[in-house]
Amino acid sequence: MKKIIYILGFIVMVLAQWFIPGSMIYEQEITLETGTAYKFKTRPIDPSDPFRGKYIVLNYEVDEITAQDLDWNSGEEVFISIANDSLGFAKAIAAHKTSEVIKGDYVAAEVRSYYDGKLHFDLPFDRFYMKETKAKNAEIGVREAQRDTKDQICYAEVFVHEGTAVLDNIFINDVAIKDFAKEE
Amino acid sequence: MQIKLKNDLKELVAAEVISEAVSQKISTYYETQTPQKPKSLFTIFGVLGALLIGLGIILILAHNWDDFSRTVKTIWAFVPLLIGQCFVGFSIIKNKGRTWKEASGTFLYLAIGATIALISQIYNIPGSMGSFLLSWTLLGALLLYLLGSKAILLLHLVFSTAYACTVGYFDDNQVPWWYLVQIIWFIPYYIHLLKTASKNNFTHVLNWLVPFSFIITLGAFLKSDDNILALAYMSLFGVFYALGNLPKFSVHKLRTIGLRVLGSLGLVFIVLIASFEGFWSPLSKITYALHDVSVVLILVSTATFIVGFQWFKKLPQRFNFVQYAYFIFALIFLTISEENTLPLILVNLLIFCLGLFTIKIGAQKNNYGILNYGLLIITILIICRFFDTNIDFIIRGLLFVGIGVGFFAANYYLYKKQQKNNISTSNTDQL
Repeated sequence: MKKIIYILGFIVMVLAQWFIPGSMIYEQEITLETGTAYKFKTRPIDPSDPFRGKYIVLNYEVDEITAQDLDWNSGEEVFISIANDSLGFAKAIAAHKTSEVIKGDYVAAEVRSYYDGKLHFDLPFDRFYMKETKAKNAEIGVREAQRDTKDQICYAEVFVHEGTAVLDNIFINDVAIKDFAKEE
Repeated sequence: MQIKLKNDLKELVAAEVISEAVSQKISTYYETQTPQKPKSLFTIFGVLGALLIGLGIILILAHNWDDFSRTVKTIWAFVPLLIGQCFVGFSIIKNKGRTWKEASGTFLYLAIGATIALISQIYNIPGSMGSFLLSWTLLGALLLYLLGSKAILLLHLVFSTAYACTVGYFDDNQVPWWYLVQIIWFIPYYIHLLKTASKNNFTHVLNWLVPFSFIITLGAFLKSDDNILALAYMSLFGVFYALGNLPKFSVHKLRTIGLRVLGSLGLVFIVLIASFEGFWSPLSKITYALHDVSVVLILVSTATFIVGFQWFKKLPQRFNFVQYAYFIFALIFLTISEENTLPLILVNLLIFCLGLFTIKIGAQKNNYGILNYGLLIITILIICRFFDTNIDFIIRGLLFVGIGVGFFAANYYLYKKQQKNNISTSNTDQL
């Protein structure tokens, strides 16, 4: 009897250990397949995580919006409606407290600050994991390219579906960052 | 068998105290008494091996192999998990020995982390370190009871503490409530170990690590970093000291009772900090957050409950002043006003009493360590006052001479007392 309980417990644990990563994958795959692709102008810097390896942190140009509602607290969740501008890059349209009222595509973000009618926010998809030999060079490469010629554009391709956003790739003038960055 | 014992036996045979045959019998007896050692060593090496392989896999995966497609990387992410689950399943179904269970459990625990890390990496999932550690510990929690594994208990404690620190101090700066769930989860197993293997080395190690984890994480539960932090820690050390004085622990050697040692050291450390004028000066202007006051109240109530329980059950022990220090300190906090002289005097008196009472316990137990610890408390108190008061040099000098004489006198008293006891014991033996 005791052994059966142990085996049942083991099966429950195994299922949970497959279900949690599986559901993570499912949510991302659904967004990648059915979501709309947006280009967010960005700038990468390179830190590392002890378990997940090297990644580049992305600072997005889309990080503020005019908001009439004064009741915004730092760290609070905010839903940002997005659309493409005339050049095909993502822009923030409006900020909402809840997602139910939004008709088009939106992303969940975190309020950084609210000052003088401007709401500053952090987009959640700010990490792009890279091969450890390329991450640093990617950061340096983008910085140098943008310094040499101002028309170098670095952007993140993000798929958005019902509030879930999946960062798929980073491009510098339409060249994928992993091809752009040389190995160390 | 120990080399020392072998040498002693040779010496005894050479001196014709025991015969060669008796020496042989003693050797055989001790050899049969210690068959577990190689097995436990094998378990330790098994766990270490699994730990190194698991950590190695995490590092290899952290390289981020961007030459592979997303599907290939996703399949690879589940390989360590699958291997670990097969080993653990085999250990449970075949009811394998301790070594198998400890090693396979350790490997699977680390494989869970590797899988979640790789999935986050492949899909660039932004989650914080806190949420990553929480998912990891929750998915591995059941392993503790399925395998009854001590290595898992250690990993669970270490990662839960890391989670509380990450959420409370670094990443999110929020209260790590899930830490309490993680602790409640392993407490039944810890109590089981205290009941069934209280003399085991691993239990002794846990008796130190568990209070250490609480000491590290308590600050994460408090929102302000002012003086109430000292009161909260004082109450926590009060809880430790009261728990360490329960009869369950009092039969053990002092070095194995981490709760009592850390409780005592912590109490003394906090009151010494509070004995400086600067500690009390900003207090009259501060209003405390309700959240922090609640944490302090819970800790004070817990310590009072344990002390009250001992008192109510009339558990065999002498009056112990140190046990009430947290409560006296809390009362001193209530005396706060614009004038900070009164709490300052009371705290200095409290330290002095703690020192005196510790000396008394040392003398009663014939324990040089405790006696000198008490003297050390008074010495540190005097050194602290040496720096922050305007007492005359002559009085300061006399105080130091006085405490020096006190050291000699107290140790000499204990030495004489021990000698007297030895003489009376040998007289009783002769009678």
